[in-house]
Amino acid sequence: MQRMNSRRKSILSAMHIAILAMFLLVSSFALTACGSKTAKNTVFSVDDIPGKTIGVQLGTTGDIYVSDYEEDGSNTKVERFNKGADAVQALKQGKIDAVIIDSQPAQAFVDANNDLTILEEEFVEEDYAMCISKSNSALKNRINEALEYLKAQGTLEAIINNYIGENAGKTPYVSPANVTRNNGTLTVATNAYFSPYEYYEGGSIVGIDMDMCQAIADYLGMDLHIEDMEFDSVITAVQSGKADIGASGMTVTEERLKNIDFTNTYTTASQVIIVRDDNASASGANIGEKFKSDFLTANRYQYILKGLGNTLLITVCAALLGIIIGFIIAVIRSNHDMTGHLKIANFLCNIYLTVIRGTPTMVQLLIIYYIIFGSVNINKIIVAILAFGINSGAYVAEIVRSGIMSIDIGQSEAARSLGLTYRQTMVNVIFPQAVKNVLPALTNEFIVLLKETSISGYIGLTDLTRGGDIIRSITYDAMLPLLGVALIYLVIVMILSTFVKKLERRLRSNERR
Amino acid sequence: MSADNKNTQNDIILEVKNMTKSYDGHVVLNNINTTIRKGEVISIIGPSGCGKSTFLRSLNLLETPTDGQVLFHGTDLTDPTVNINHIREKIGMVFQHFNLFPNMTIKDNLMLAPMKVAQMPKEEASALADSLLKRVGLSDKADTYPNMLSGGQKQRVAIARALAMNPEVMLFDEPTSALDPEMVGEVLSIMKELAQSGMTMIVVTHEMGFAREVSSRCMFFADTIIKEENTPAEIFDNPQTDRLKDFLSKVL
Ligand SMILES: Nc1ncnc2c1ncn2[C@@H]1O[C@H](COP(=O)(O)OP(=O)(O)OP(=O)(O)O)[C@@H](O)[C@H]1O
Ligand SMILES: [Mg+2]
Repeated sequence: MQRMNSRRKSILSAMHIAILAMFLLVSSFALTACGSKTAKNTVFSVDDIPGKTIGVQLGTTGDIYVSDYEEDGSNTKVERFNKGADAVQALKQGKIDAVIIDSQPAQAFVDANNDLTILEEEFVEEDYAMCISKSNSALKNRINEALEYLKAQGTLEAIINNYIGENAGKTPYVSPANVTRNNGTLTVATNAYFSPYEYYEGGSIVGIDMDMCQAIADYLGMDLHIEDMEFDSVITAVQSGKADIGASGMTVTEERLKNIDFTNTYTTASQVIIVRDDNASASGANIGEKFKSDFLTANRYQYILKGLGNTLLITVCAALLGIIIGFIIAVIRSNHDMTGHLKIANFLCNIYLTVIRGTPTMVQLLIIYYIIFGSVNINKIIVAILAFGINSGAYVAEIVRSGIMSIDIGQSEAARSLGLTYRQTMVNVIFPQAVKNVLPALTNEFIVLLKETSISGYIGLTDLTRGGDIIRSITYDAMLPLLGVALIYLVIVMILSTFVKKLERRLRSNERR
Repeated sequence: MSADNKNTQNDIILEVKNMTKSYDGHVVLNNINTTIRKGEVISIIGPSGCGKSTFLRSLNLLETPTDGQVLFHGTDLTDPTVNINHIREKIGMVFQHFNLFPNMTIKDNLMLAPMKVAQMPKEEASALADSLLKRVGLSDKADTYPNMLSGGQKQRVAIARALAMNPEVMLFDEPTSALDPEMVGEVLSIMKELAQSGMTMIVVTHEMGFAREVSSRCMFFADTIIKEENTPAEIFDNPQTDRLKDFLSKVL
């Protein structure tokens, strides 16, 4: 009978999940349907830009040039997105009037969205180069030497033609067979959302920049290592020594030259303007096709699976670390509260709590990655575990402390009067009661933690959210990858809360006050 | 003479020397001196807030005296180098509000200290718990949790829990004050049996009947000191100070 009941309950909660998921899907369909009635296009040439809302990718040259309009009194608004794909999505939905972006990715976006078009008139011409630390002129000279060699040999042209133009795919770059790689590793920072220069294909990062870097590494006798990160992190990574060079379709600008050096240029590109095409019918791919191309084609669901694995790994390890830190701090603080001892330790704990709770988690993550481990080559997952664990520890500490303080002082007096040590009293008497009291709050904290790991993408880690983003950048479909990712988070959270509800019920049945 | 002296020395369990306790300059106990011998049953009476609990809790250092010494078999508890946990094993304590551990069964409440502190094997601790529960008449409650018991039953468990460490002296802080009147009797009769078995006891109480009947010595606390100290008969029938006369006229 008992068993039947709990079975029925789990069927019920499974139904809850299904209903919620359907609600989510239906409501987003409704939103997409509304989106098809977006405003007419108002930008037909560069002259139309003043006074409009323009989307750019944060930190790109498009961003830099359009920012000039922002200050000229024409009331032009610039919306800066982390990814070109996000800007394009906003354009489709009528939230912005045009997107200024490099011509090659622009072509890819327009090919994938037949309700968008590129204006004939180019916005600006520019040269691409690799960025490199100002203090590394030796490497810069060697790379320039390699670059000039590749240009002279026609290798660079072959690489570019393999990605752009009629003969695309016909001249793939292949490393020479006899390369000896005795000269260490060349670490390249990039932002792999920028087809055809750098993008994900079949689980690895490919593109013009990547092939070129491979050719350079081959010429220099080095191993190549590619680090994927946000575009606006590429320069920071090179500055801090996390990467040797940045190859990310990057244009040389005065602003950037203040912080970083550049190699010789290797190709020219142009910034173009994408606008809505009023003549085209809204894109026709049906949901089934979209699902196929988002998740099944080329096993793209693997990005989600890999991301999910990392998200779970980071969450579980960070939660454990948070519990350890939190308990230690809670014990120190409550001991100080009760006895007045441990003044210095308590002071240090207070600093930790104030700093961690007073700054955003994302900023902490970036500080730990770029500053504290700035010059150390360390696994990003470990960095994320440390950052989220240290962050969570502060919240766990205060939760546990409130739990400890909520236990009647008579409990520890009784235990101590029996001869139990402070530690034995804590472990056997206080903690079991305190933890039970704060279990709901602790679960909540871990649910928050799980969701907060979604910022791991900022240090280039493929977590669940970024796994969805990678698919988004390949298929240019925002809806299904985002909804899929949301659904997975939701399911994990619901499993977690169901589990804790059961645990709570069991603890309560042991003991009613 | 010397043999006599030695005997008395060995009899002394607790000795309080010049003990003073104050909170933020507010003096609660002022220069207390007393000696407690094996087999004594001492009742402590006095008006509310006069420091009875503070005195009792100083004896196992739940309160730290501001000044003076508390000696247990000659060992000064206020000496920071003394391992107070070892001494507390030998000083049982029963609280007004029972302070049973709600996260454990009754039996586990009794077994915790023997196993964790005295390193007693589980089977032995279990047998000990069974016999103690039998002694306080609660064998049938072994596997229930404290919340299932009445106040009187809880206090009997608390007494059994303190006895599990086989203490040399038992401290009681108003053990019946939180009980409904009909439950006071069951707890007092357990305490009476304990006294008759020879246990050394120090009992802060408002139960004047118990103080008069069971205790061998009675201390009246007032005005930060032990105002009067004598046999119960003398204290109750022949009070010396106005303070005590006044107190007795109110409580009797
Ligand atoms: N932690 C403390 N901080 C400050 N003052 C305290 C503290 N504990 C006790 N006191 C004060 O010390 C005095 C004696 O308290 P104590 O509890 O020993 O009295 P008592 O004789 O046991 O009274 P009652 O009969 O009400 O139990 C009281 O005035 C009380 O306010
Ligand atoms: Mg008291």
